[in-house]
Amino acid sequence: MLQVKNIVKYYGENKAVDNLSFEVKDGEIFGLLGENGAGKTTTFRIIMGLLDATDGTVLLNGRKIDYSLTDQIGFVTEERSLLTKMTVKEQLIFYGILKGMSEKKIENELKKWLKFFQIEDYENRKIKELSKGNQQKIQFISAVINHPKLLILDEPFTGLDPINVELMKKAIYKLQEEGCSIIFSSHQMEHIDAFCEKLIILVKGKAIVDGYVQDIKKEYKKKNILIRGEDIPVTEIEKIKGVISVTKQKDEYAVKVDEDSIAPKVFAKIKNKNITKYDVTEATLNEIFIAKVGEVHE
Amino acid sequence: MSNKFWYLTKQSLRKKIKSKWFLGVNIMLLLVIVALININSIISFFGGDFSQETKILVKDNTEISFTVFKETMKELTSEEDTGKIKVVKTTKKEDKLQKNLKDNEVLIVLDDDAENFVTAKLISNEKIDNTTYQYISQGLNTTKTSIALVKTNTDPSLLAKISSPMNTERVVLSEDKSVDENMELVMSSLFPTLILPFFMLIIFLVQMIGGEICEEKTTRSMEIIISNVSPKIHLLSKVVASNLFVIIQGLLLVLYSVIGILISTKGQLSINPNVDSLLSATVDSGFLDKMITLLPAALIMMLLSFLAYSLIAGILAAMTTNMEDFNQIQTPIMLVLLAGYYLAIMAGMFDGSILIRFLSYVPFISCLVSPSLYIIGQISMIDVIISIIILIITIALMIKYGLKVYKVGILNYSNEKIWSRFAKAIKSKDV
Repeated sequence: MLQVKNIVKYYGENKAVDNLSFEVKDGEIFGLLGENGAGKTTTFRIIMGLLDATDGTVLLNGRKIDYSLTDQIGFVTEERSLLTKMTVKEQLIFYGILKGMSEKKIENELKKWLKFFQIEDYENRKIKELSKGNQQKIQFISAVINHPKLLILDEPFTGLDPINVELMKKAIYKLQEEGCSIIFSSHQMEHIDAFCEKLIILVKGKAIVDGYVQDIKKEYKKKNILIRGEDIPVTEIEKIKGVISVTKQKDEYAVKVDEDSIAPKVFAKIKNKNITKYDVTEATLNEIFIAKVGEVHE
Repeated sequence: MSNKFWYLTKQSLRKKIKSKWFLGVNIMLLLVIVALININSIISFFGGDFSQETKILVKDNTEISFTVFKETMKELTSEEDTGKIKVVKTTKKEDKLQKNLKDNEVLIVLDDDAENFVTAKLISNEKIDNTTYQYISQGLNTTKTSIALVKTNTDPSLLAKISSPMNTERVVLSEDKSVDENMELVMSSLFPTLILPFFMLIIFLVQMIGGEICEEKTTRSMEIIISNVSPKIHLLSKVVASNLFVIIQGLLLVLYSVIGILISTKGQLSINPNVDSLLSATVDSGFLDKMITLLPAALIMMLLSFLAYSLIAGILAAMTTNMEDFNQIQTPIMLVLLAGYYLAIMAGMFDGSILIRFLSYVPFISCLVSPSLYIIGQISMIDVIISIIILIITIALMIKYGLKVYKVGILNYSNEKIWSRFAKAIKSKDV
């Protein structure tokens, strides 16, 4: 289990991380969200022991993270961190040995992972000759080849097509089943929505949203109503107090409302129309993120 | 952690030695060194003859001059040990000799002269090279003096005394001063050749360590590496690898020289007469004695300087984010090195300069200037040892403070100018 307790990090006068605390249990996937410059990378670097926190502690299974523990951590950085002149095999052996593995064990593991990602033919290809997507797969394999107890994924799906995104998701779930604690960061909220049970949204280093995804969505009062049908009285719906907006999305309308209690009022306007769909849904993480981050900036 | 250190060291070294750059540079170095050692054969191959013997044919019409001339020439040429001039007596007719005279032959016709005792006619197909001409002129003048003394019935023992060189006792009052005034000549010709490989190896060293760190930073693999090994282990592995690399490269340079000599002497590891004469001149000037005394200290200083240069190059390279930055950091290192190189060569021209003496203690250039000043007698062994101590202190400080700067700089990818990043890293509270 990873425990981040009240960490603070200053760069000169600038507070990059402000009293941040969270826990990631074994086999849990945790989302760390935030706009660019919110303090995500600094938090990751503190967890990895690359940076010393000005205050606070980071514990993995009750022990302070230092170089005796980093062999149990995997890290996929946001930008590609591969030595492009090396071959795939050389690169994986290089990172594997730095994680304290034997060359024989690395070779066994790399064969399994290359097969899993359907790139076993690229074993002796140079990294620079691979496509962006395949480079991303190698970067992922290099982070998980040691079956880490803690895995940090910073934008892991960058450059991947939908098929390979599914493959990588499968790999992440596999690691979750092994009991690996996973911290996940992405700007694509649908991935966070699909993966994470818990999350934190950081703004200027401070957690402005913190908790289980389901609870966060429930607590967020604004809802979306999706309506499909004929002769929808858009103008009348817009006039209802509590309706934020009405937008047309292909063959249906999306009505944003302030809270649950507005939904019956909207329904009252359309109940006599020829409607084929009326669905009240929770706000998406994307909407929650934009709203919450926006509030802070206002 | 020590396994990771040795793995990183081995990896760096293997990467460099297996590179096409290393292969290309070493093929070039082998060819250049072998070519320089065998330059005579190469020149001869292309139609010239650098070491062709000059044959002096002497037609002695005086009957007594040849023996004196031959002895004089033997003495003159053996003193310089050129071994390129052969003096032969001939009785053939002058016309015939002139007609059959070869390009490497010189004909001297010696005739009696009532007024000047003996006269000479010097005949050749083409211009005689300057050195040979000087020998012949000196030989003929000495011959004339000897013949004149014989003809004027001077006592033979007196004649020997007159002909023998003057006994000169050379006394230098300062203990530090070089005994031989030829030392400056040796320093300006031989010393630059000796320190050139050292200069070149430092350039290789800076390029290797800087280039590798820069590559790891620009590809962002540094973050992964540093998350598994400490910055200290990382830097020290690069330092050890680059130092081992230059030692290997230095030994290869020695090997290429041996190959060159073997080719030159056709498999016999003997000293070429030209090299031998240079060695004799070096021994006579006292240069070699000083070099032998200096050798242990010079080797220590050389290894410590490799260490110092690799540390500074590594620390500065940690601040780079691209190749342009890396070129910027190389420039001051190269300028310092170049200043040291020229100071070492020109030190003899500024006898007693306090500034140059002071510079011989300055780390990074002391390895070049200090040995130079010691050989020409401007500083003593104690000064050399002081330079070594200062260098050791500098290395210790670089390890203590430089490593902290390295730790901050290595993960810094800001867009600020490199020197500003460096200044901030020094001031950082994390340091």
